[in-house]
Amino acid sequence: MALLEVKNLGITFGGLHAVDGFSMSIEKGELYGLIGPNGAGKTTCFNLLTGVYKPTMGTIYLDGENITGKSTIDINKAGIARTFQNIRLFSNLSVIDNVKAGLTNNYRYSTATGVFRLPKFFKTEKLMNEKAHELLKVFGLDEESSTMAANLPYGKQRKLEIARALATDPKLLLLDEPAAGMNPNETAELMNTIRFVRDEFDMTVLLIEHDMSLVSGICERLSVLNFGQLLCQGKTSDVLSDPEVITAYLGE
Amino acid sequence: MGFLDNLINGISLGSIYAVIALGYTLVYGIAKMLNFAHGDVIMVGGYLIFTCATTWGLNPYLSLVIAMAGCTVLGILIEKIAYKPLRQATSLSVLITAIGVSYFLQNIALLIFGANPVTFTSIVNLPKISLFDGQIIIKSETTAAIVVSVLIVVGLSLFVGKTKSGRAMLAVSEDKDAAQLMGVNVNRTISLTFAIGSGLAAVAGGLLCSAYPVLSNTTGAMPGIKAFVAAVFGGIGSIPGAMIGGILIGVIEILGRAYISPQLADAIVFAVLIIVLMVKPTGILGKKISEKV
Amino acid sequence: MKGQIDLKRKISPATRGSFITYGMVTAAFIVTQILVSTGRVSNMFQGLLVPFCVYSIAAVSLNLTVGILGELSLGQAGFMCVGAYTGAIFSLMTKDAITSAWVRFPLALLIGGLAAAIFGVLIGIPVLRLRGDYLAIVTLAFGEIIKNVFAALYIGTDSRGVHVSLTSQGDLGLEPDGKMIINGALGISGAPKDSTFVIGFVVLLLTLIVMYNFINSRTGRAVMSIRDNRIAAESIGLNITKYKLITFGLTAFLGGVAGSLFSHNLAVLQASKFDYNLSILILVFVVLGGIGSMRGSVIAAVVLTLLPEVLRSINNYRMLIYSVVLIVMMIFTSNATIRGFFAANFAKLKGVIIKNKPDTAKEGV
Repeated sequence: MALLEVKNLGITFGGLHAVDGFSMSIEKGELYGLIGPNGAGKTTCFNLLTGVYKPTMGTIYLDGENITGKSTIDINKAGIARTFQNIRLFSNLSVIDNVKAGLTNNYRYSTATGVFRLPKFFKTEKLMNEKAHELLKVFGLDEESSTMAANLPYGKQRKLEIARALATDPKLLLLDEPAAGMNPNETAELMNTIRFVRDEFDMTVLLIEHDMSLVSGICERLSVLNFGQLLCQGKTSDVLSDPEVITAYLGE
Repeated sequence: MGFLDNLINGISLGSIYAVIALGYTLVYGIAKMLNFAHGDVIMVGGYLIFTCATTWGLNPYLSLVIAMAGCTVLGILIEKIAYKPLRQATSLSVLITAIGVSYFLQNIALLIFGANPVTFTSIVNLPKISLFDGQIIIKSETTAAIVVSVLIVVGLSLFVGKTKSGRAMLAVSEDKDAAQLMGVNVNRTISLTFAIGSGLAAVAGGLLCSAYPVLSNTTGAMPGIKAFVAAVFGGIGSIPGAMIGGILIGVIEILGRAYISPQLADAIVFAVLIIVLMVKPTGILGKKISEKV
Repeated sequence: MKGQIDLKRKISPATRGSFITYGMVTAAFIVTQILVSTGRVSNMFQGLLVPFCVYSIAAVSLNLTVGILGELSLGQAGFMCVGAYTGAIFSLMTKDAITSAWVRFPLALLIGGLAAAIFGVLIGIPVLRLRGDYLAIVTLAFGEIIKNVFAALYIGTDSRGVHVSLTSQGDLGLEPDGKMIINGALGISGAPKDSTFVIGFVVLLLTLIVMYNFINSRTGRAVMSIRDNRIAAESIGLNITKYKLITFGLTAFLGGVAGSLFSHNLAVLQASKFDYNLSILILVFVVLGGIGSMRGSVIAAVVLTLLPEVLRSINNYRMLIYSVVLIVMMIFTSNATIRGFFAANFAKLKGVIIKNKPDTAKEGV
């Protein structure tokens, strides 16, 4: 069974069908791309998958569990973590605290334990620090663990967002334009990191991207959205050579 | 006939709240901020009218016009000096600034006019209405408050719906950035909103002080907060909502004062706020505001 | 040399900061105690020692909601009022049963705090799930309700039990030997004056420890995450309402403790003391001391409580100055252009100082 099973998903905003009857299924361990021209409904789709918007039709199953209409918080607990097109870090927290915030639900001790500094506090914090450093190392942010997140350069902020999302130990990672604003070198490095994350953490990744070098470089399968509807779906090479897709991108 | 008297007084007080609530609702809708200083602009309006009419002996209606002009300028100044630099700031910073402005106005008034309240001479000069062979006498201030507030609500609705500036206000309240892209002058629209709200505050000040003729530097604070409660009750951002909320709050307050406890009337009004937020946070006519992701 | 560096690495900046605050408060306490015992302190100053602690605790706890949670509460006086009244009522009722102040007073502080926390959670539940400015207006409303209700409250006891009225003393129908506990607007008199500077200091130190430990824990991180970006916090599964409620409840609890400490320092406790102005005053402490800085809150609370007493002449202008301070602080810290201007010039200034003192720059390596 597929890890993510989306069937006939849709939402309307005041009569506008922002996403209309979208279906896709992603297998465990896949690197999957969601592409389409601007305004095609890709980010809306992410917002539907993560519960920011409640779908007006369709169903979403994650690992066999129906998560349609659940809250963002519950969907994250069910196993979907994401990054944002316009970076949303906890800008006044240090780099490591951003990651540790992501660990909050998986490394537990009570507020009283924290306030009274009971032994469990020190034990759990130590484990959290180790886990956070491990994640930061993957993204080459280990050296900057005490830097304030807002002071990181742009590319590193994008990476920190991925690290934070991974800290919640998701089954599925959604990346919204991870390469936006990166130069070709950084993009190439990011591609390696995403592959590494998939292999190392046994992760399934769904990403939105405009950078075709990244899409064709790492995505195994693609869905193309246009005007909120599915235009084409399949293997990356097939999709990118589809005349309809080319038309949608280049215009008529 | 005591109940009817109370009801009429409640509607009258509520009409004044409605005029104040309009200022909150407009500013909240367009600048997305809670202008804590709005209530204190009422107080400034009251003192301006008092100074013109009582101290200088000018015609009461002329005094009102002068006060409206003065408060309009004050509102624009407050916006330009205190709020405009904070357009991009967190709502926490904006709120604290607004509280600072409110405190500033109260304390400046305290320095200028002293701590002793002054007795305000009513600016309303209309005949009383006598009903049921004189069993119920409606004071001219009561009539004036109701008539003026209805005129203002109708006028403002027409202004927002029919004029170019009014539609610009609607556009800015929907989406500031999009409105800017469509060529709406956002800064001018926000200034205009503050100008209208503050001008109305002067009218509210005149009505309030005519009905309750004690004026001090904190006169505007409590009615201001209650009017905000009214704006939330009616649905923040909605002009008819402000009217409905205002009248309901006024009636609740007066009836609470008469039939429950005079000391607890304010507490009852605030309890209404907490209940409204629990049951229907968007108020009677409000709509949900959601954040963009 | 190597050992020193390792030591520095082990202690996080947050921990170091908290210990500097503890040390500072303790040092100030010791110095004051020495001055008091050698008789070098005026009566006026001695009378301010407990208020210093009360205002510091109130400011530090409000800073938790304003600085760490990023929400505005205008009801700190209301929570203090609840704590003050419940604490004083408890002490009055148990004065004869528990004779030792060392047992009774900590209980009175705890009960004051818990009562305030209950109110905090009760008003927090409907309001904290809303976005925007509702918390400010609701806490303001709450403060007014509490003040009005306590001012209208008459409670007395006699052989038949406890009597409560919201209208007048006569309405209670007390027996001749009955005892008034709350006498409406006249408030409570005769609560034991258990507050001392030593207890105030201990409570303040405990408050600071709770504060710093809270901030530097899993919960504190979650709260600050919500403050910095609510949408991102939801995306990593943080239960927004729960964390907001915990934080706001803790603020209310400590506000209540401060109130109880306050009421045991007064001959007569009246609800009118806990008005909107008090809430604003405490907010001024928080803003001037630096939003989010616990140490700053303590310093601001002490300095701004002392200043008007020392400089009587500024008393008339005090609130006016505070209002300008609020506005100016906000504009300067929130406007990127102005902040950038000052940051640039500050850096230049720093450069000049360091150039002139090459030796100090190397210190501590």
